[in-house]
Amino acid sequence: MSSKLRSSSPLTWLIDPFSPTEESARSDFRPGRGSLLWIVPTMIGIALLAVSAVGWSIDPGQFYFSYLVGWAFCLSIAVGALFFVLIQHLTKARWSVVVRRISESLMWTFPLLLVLSIPIILGMHDLFHWTHENLYDPADSHYDPILAGKRSYLNTPFFLVRMAVYFIVWCTLAYRLYSLSVREDLTGAVDIKAKQRKVSAIGLPLVAVTTAFGSYDFLMSVDPHWFSTIFGVYFFAASFWTVHALIALIAILLQRGVGLQKIVTAEHYQDLGKMMFGFTVFWAYIAFSQYMLIWYGNLPEETIWYRHRLEHGWEMHSAALLIAHFIIPFWVLVSRGAKRKKAILAFMAIWFLVMNWFDIHWIVMPVHAADHAAVHWLSLSCWLGLFGVVFGSVMYRLRRHSLVPQNDPYLSSSLAFTNS
Amino acid sequence: MIKEITTQVKSTMSIFEARKDRLYGVLAEFSDPGDLYHAAEKVRDEGYRHFDVHSPFPIHGMDKAMGLGNSKVGYITLIGGLTGLATGILLQWWTGAVDYPLNISGKPFFAFEPSIPVIFELTILFAALGAVAGMFALNGLPRPYNPLFYSEKFHSVTDDGFFLHIAASDKKFEIIRTVEFLEGIGASYIEKIVDKSSED
Repeated sequence: MSSKLRSSSPLTWLIDPFSPTEESARSDFRPGRGSLLWIVPTMIGIALLAVSAVGWSIDPGQFYFSYLVGWAFCLSIAVGALFFVLIQHLTKARWSVVVRRISESLMWTFPLLLVLSIPIILGMHDLFHWTHENLYDPADSHYDPILAGKRSYLNTPFFLVRMAVYFIVWCTLAYRLYSLSVREDLTGAVDIKAKQRKVSAIGLPLVAVTTAFGSYDFLMSVDPHWFSTIFGVYFFAASFWTVHALIALIAILLQRGVGLQKIVTAEHYQDLGKMMFGFTVFWAYIAFSQYMLIWYGNLPEETIWYRHRLEHGWEMHSAALLIAHFIIPFWVLVSRGAKRKKAILAFMAIWFLVMNWFDIHWIVMPVHAADHAAVHWLSLSCWLGLFGVVFGSVMYRLRRHSLVPQNDPYLSSSLAFTNS
Repeated sequence: MIKEITTQVKSTMSIFEARKDRLYGVLAEFSDPGDLYHAAEKVRDEGYRHFDVHSPFPIHGMDKAMGLGNSKVGYITLIGGLTGLATGILLQWWTGAVDYPLNISGKPFFAFEPSIPVIFELTILFAALGAVAGMFALNGLPRPYNPLFYSEKFHSVTDDGFFLHIAASDKKFEIIRTVEFLEGIGASYIEKIVDKSSED
């Protein structure tokens, strides 16, 4: 057994910073065959992104908005996974150890997302109204005193600096947590658990602040006149909600041939289901808090945002969001039996992924097409293309290391975990 | 018929009825929680249904060992929550739009937007009260009188005693065979319990 964690080649560093260690995994935890699980999504993803590139040449404005929706969707997964890992370490969680490697694999999506953000930076002029110079010239007919007042924050150089800071924070923490965990697989060093907790204690407030500001910059500033201080929490709720669904879905997929059989049991699925259920309510709570305060305050500069989402067909999207993002998942997942059945949980996990995308689409797209609600085919191709590539990279990483943190001191508790 | 049903319901709350001859059941003591746990499994497998275990602290997994199945408290909580939901809607609508309509900064007399917090809080309140009340009811609590208190030995249950009680109302109960069975599974002490109360 080699006991040193080696970096991978610079070419694959973006996908997985470490060379494979699966050979040192115990046989129960060693990933089996199933290379189709990463090749197929990656291929579909690349094909759909190529199709989207054709769409860009036809309608660049639509492409940029659709791309932003798909990219923010993938970002919400990565952010959610990072939060998941941080919180498991900080709470000394035992139940989740068997699925932690999946979330660790998910959180190394950040470097890839940074590369995939290039079209957004190129399309900033189309996406972000505040990038237009003539808004700030008092002599110009387009002069906007409100945006002029926000200019010290909403300007391109500062936006790029902030974006760099977010990704430095996210990538550093993800790298640190991922490397500690994979190193523990090899060496079993006893001080790693404490180090992970320390990194998490420093990391959680940093990720909380960067996630909030990231959501303001990437999603809220698409409509630069509008503001909502709870928006960062809203994005967190959506991220954390989605990541539990995706972890459950990946575990179910891996159990179809790759591994984790008899390791992830109905007990763990029930806990993931509980979190999915709980954060369904949390998301609705936050979404409603934002809506109710704006409704009650009744200030035109705030209500206009909802006005846009309650007319020209967008009211159907708003209603669908209430029903399919809250009411249906609530009633499906309220029972114990549903959380313990893989088929129902897998169905709901896919449902969650679709609804999270629909939620972000509802936030972003009315800015581009305020007067006709529609789901453009580019929105679908960009979303599934980006998610395909991201998902493929996650499955690729999972196959290169032990499927669970095999030397984690809490692993045996996690394996024996039961809901009483 | 009704007496039969109430007897059955009460037995699910561990409230068992004494036999005509006042025999309440057999009490057996075990030396430690592990013994009690395995004894409960054996009593369950033997086919007894009217039995209960008593220990100074909760024993993990005992519900499974006794074959109790999942708790029904969740359903009571759900009913409580739905009652609270309906109460909240009714309260907001009736006070705001029917009984005492007041125009406050041009807002509608009744609308869901400002009413949701009240509806939500009442849903949570009723669900929580339902959960607590349901827990008490399904456990048959509070229960100030229990024929087991006639046993001197049983007093140690709040200190270091681990007891299993098979009720005389069980269909399989037969005093000699039940005592023999309890001896067979390792009870360190066995006592017949007679209900000396003068009710009925």
